[in-house]
Amino acid sequence: MRSLLSGLGMALGLLCASSHAHGQKATEQYIPIGQSPGVSQKYSSIGEVAGVNPAAQTVTIADPAGPRTVRITEKTRIWLDRTKIKQTNVPGRFADLQKGRRVEVKYADPERRDVAEWVKVEIGQP
Amino acid sequence: MSGPCDGVEPPRSFRLRVSAAFMAGAAALVACQTVPPDPQAALIAKGRDLFFNETFAGNGRTCGSCHRELENFAISPAFIATLPKDDPLFVAEFVPALKQNFENPRLMREFGLILENLDGFDDLANKFTMRGVPHVLALRTSVASPQGPRTGWSGDGAPADGSLRSFAVGAVIQHFTKTLNRVAGVDFRLPTDPELDALEAFQLSLGRQADLALPLPLKGTVAKRGQEIFLNNGLGKCNVCHGNAGANLAPGNNANFNTGVEDLPDQPARLTGERIPRDDGFGIPGDGTFNTPPLVEAADTGPFFHNNAIETIEGAVAFYNGQAFNNSPSGRFLASSDPNGVGIRLDGTQVVAVAAFLRVINALENIRQSIELLQQAEALGFFETAPAQALLGRAASETGDSIAVLSGGGLHPDAVAALGDAKRLTERAARSLFNRRGLAREAIQAQERARVQLMEVRK
Repeated sequence: MRSLLSGLGMALGLLCASSHAHGQKATEQYIPIGQSPGVSQKYSSIGEVAGVNPAAQTVTIADPAGPRTVRITEKTRIWLDRTKIKQTNVPGRFADLQKGRRVEVKYADPERRDVAEWVKVEIGQP
Repeated sequence: MSGPCDGVEPPRSFRLRVSAAFMAGAAALVACQTVPPDPQAALIAKGRDLFFNETFAGNGRTCGSCHRELENFAISPAFIATLPKDDPLFVAEFVPALKQNFENPRLMREFGLILENLDGFDDLANKFTMRGVPHVLALRTSVASPQGPRTGWSGDGAPADGSLRSFAVGAVIQHFTKTLNRVAGVDFRLPTDPELDALEAFQLSLGRQADLALPLPLKGTVAKRGQEIFLNNGLGKCNVCHGNAGANLAPGNNANFNTGVEDLPDQPARLTGERIPRDDGFGIPGDGTFNTPPLVEAADTGPFFHNNAIETIEGAVAFYNGQAFNNSPSGRFLASSDPNGVGIRLDGTQVVAVAAFLRVINALENIRQSIELLQQAEALGFFETAPAQALLGRAASETGDSIAVLSGGGLHPDAVAALGDAKRLTERAARSLFNRRGLAREAIQAQERARVQLMEVRK
């Protein structure tokens, strides 16, 4: 019986292993740049956009540790952080990643840091 | 006799001696009662204050608006019915900016359901889920998983790093906002790092700090049989996912499963005809899985499941007999590993026996908590009336729960009688000016008498 239990447990572990825990992204939209607990500047970079390559769908961030180029995929969420102008944050597009704008990029893989899971783009005075 | 605080010179005259002895005694009493500040206790106390009182400059709600302490940190329709019309829980009924797409007042009042935009805020009229309020007890035992922390009904309740610490940030954005614009600094303020630390510490301090080690030496015939069925991986199969009646496959391994709750026919809230989109569970879009909750606290924290679909603990156990579960990925998996191809199939008596087991372990946990609270109240000084009364009030509420949980299943009338004594003594202690500690001690003894009725207790 004990071996059946451990077998079932292991199998159920595999059954549920596909559900990788990740933060509930929906409310992330409304968290201003730099204020994501446990994420900002740990698993993300904050800096100005130093360059954009629409063909390669990449953006280069002037991270204090040096320029970092990340890929924007169809899974990457882009939000416009309009907190500074007291307006609601809204979904953005690749075209919103403009040189000189301040952004926060969260990496999909914290080790490789080559693909963006989400990007927040700061919108100042209109 | 020398005490821990020596060094007082004896006075010469008797009068002076009496007076000085009194003064020294009083001083010694104060000095000896002073304990070094416990930083963790201070953090938990700060977290408690934030949990129940901090609105984060929002619409007036606090964490405690939904997670009521006297409702075991959940909330039921019966409790909601006792609240005044202007309670912040009902902001959608009296704040014009929140009238549309923030809550569904009918479903909140009738079924205790809260609106959540778990799949995003881009289509508020159509993209939402209606969920019950999960209790936040025993979180220390139930959040950790190899894939990362799991919070909320679907395990993905927190933004940012998904941790319990970050949970409050998402809750403020979802539930505390003054308008649907949800602008930080305008519609609410986000919790600071020290506030998140305190809120996490408080939540982790609630309820059980460790899982049980089953089987327990239970005395009740039906509950004892229920425990056997619960632990039997060829019959009840409950312990496979709810190890030791907790929330884990194994310690530190909380998991998500699709158990088919969303496929239940005749879900009460859906019978109203109100629009309720299918809840897709974990992730965006969801994978249909929901998080495994602990069972020790289940019997007094209904209604059950993420959508409050079932009112009684017997009904919740019976769910696993039905088509919705047995046709779900989890039910099919259990069937595939059963020699007879059966997922879960229990007869009525067996359903009631498992529920009786869950009722008894819930009552045992209530007794443990009540004794802990009574001991804390007993340890307080004569002048600490308000904190003692607060602790005694919570102990009386816990005791009321244990009475309801046992008597609701027709279980252990002898224990129920002892718990009735304990509740009366606790309430008297809360009112007493001079005998608070004595009555609290008597209440503890009555709790212990009840516990001995439920299971063998080693001296």
